[in-house]
Formats: sequence, C-alpha cells, structure tokens
Amino acid sequence: MFIDRMLNQGPTPLLEKMLDFTAARHQMLAENIVNIDTPNYHNKDLSLTKFQSLLRDRSRVRSDIAPGSVRFDDIHVDPHQTDGLMFHDGNNRSAEQLMTDEAKNALMHNLVVELLRKQYSEMEMALKDRVT
Amino acid sequence: MFNVLDIGASGLAAQRARLDVISANIANASTTRDADGKPNPFRRRLAIFAEGRADDRSAPGVHVQQIKLDPSPFVTKYEPGHPDADAQGYVQYPNVDLSVEYVNALEASRAYEANVTMMETTKAMLNSSLRLLA
Repeated sequence: MFIDRMLNQGPTPLLEKMLDFTAARHQMLAENIVNIDTPNYHNKDLSLTKFQSLLRDRSRVRSDIAPGSVRFDDIHVDPHQTDGLMFHDGNNRSAEQLMTDEAKNALMHNLVVELLRKQYSEMEMALKDRVT
Repeated sequence: MFNVLDIGASGLAAQRARLDVISANIANASTTRDADGKPNPFRRRLAIFAEGRADDRSAPGVHVQQIKLDPSPFVTKYEPGHPDADAQGYVQYPNVDLSVEYVNALEASRAYEANVTMMETTKAMLNSSLRLLA
C-alpha cells in the first residue's frame, strides 16, 4: 500500500507519461527538420496543449480513489499536420518555428527529468528513513 | 529516442549529397563538352528528396530519391572564335546559374547545421534521461 501510494499517487506516473510525450514529439520534430527540403512534405506535430489537458483531466479524478486505480498509459495524442505558408515545392516548412519548438521541447524534457530525479531521491530518502 | 539519431543521420547524408550535386554544377558551370570530348554542354542536376530512410523507406527520415537533370535551355553566347561554336558562331554553355547555385549551397549548408543542432539536442536529452539511472 505504501509503495503503491508512493509510485502511483504522486506526480511520478504523470512525469513518466510526460517524458514519453516529449520523446515522441522530439522524434516528430526531427522528422520535420530532416524533411525540410522534401517536396510535398507536410510538417507534423503533437499538441502539447491537448496532451496536458488530457493529463490534467485524468489526474483530477484520482484524488478520491485508491492509488493505482487511475492509469495514464492509455493517454494518447495523434499527430496533426501543422498550418503554415506553403512553398512552391508543396512543403510548409518553417525552420525558425521548428528550431524553437525543438528547443522548448528539449527544455521541457530536461525539466521533467529533473523533477523525476527529485521524486526518486525523495523515495530513496523515505526508504532509507533518513534525510541526507 | 536513439532512433532520432538515425533520422538526423539520414538528413545529414541527404544534405551532403545535395551539396555534392551543387558542387558538381558549379564546377561544370563552363563545361561545353562531355566525358568523351564531344561538344555537349553539361546539364544542371538537381537532388530530389523523398521521405523515408535510404535503407528502409518505411522508417522516418529522408533520402535522395533521384538526381534529376534540369530540362531548362542551355545558355547561348556569341563566340565565333570558340572551337565549339556552331556555323553562326554561337556556343552553348551549361544551364547553370552560379547565383542560384550559391543560394542553394547556403540553404543546404543551413539545413545540415539544423540537423546537427537537432542531433546535439537529442544527445543532451538522452544524457539527461540517462542521469535518472545514476
């Protein structure tokens, strides 16, 4: 019960899911960058807003029920084609937007990793029963 | 996420191939004869990209699908003393515009850099994730 609460009731599963999301989005942005000169290629992206909204909705309902009964594994955001100026070769690239999104996504990824590290170190402290 | 490094590598290879094609265009900007030495101006080439990696088209990435010949007309100059001039004194030169080639080279170089940056970011993200284990 104690371990269950530590692993499933805190922010750990949300952070893990967020890490999955940033990794998947990074791959999508990488695909867009390598296809920056590919004719008729349409840029794709995963909506961070939609993902966070799904995550928020799911986390709201779990405060009153048993730890572990609300799962986050099935939360999924489908890729969508991005809008943007269409060039003559049929590609709607925006190098500036792509590099910005990539930097923002990497920062988010690193932030989530740091938060997860903090969670794990707190768990370790609790298990060792001493503050270091 | 290790897969992203392969995606980046496919982008680097494709942009390098594009730069090779541009280099060949610039090098042959004044070539009026073919490899056999017969009067036949060099025709400009273009690298055409397509989605998917070269070794696996279904995998995310990019590859050079074909090197296409530019069908635009050759540049004709009046040079009666030139050995490749026709009966009217006109010589046909390659359909290569150096300004266009320079701009394309710059674009390919920038795209190459974008790929390198993306791969550096991927490495930083992987390093940060691996720190979770430490």
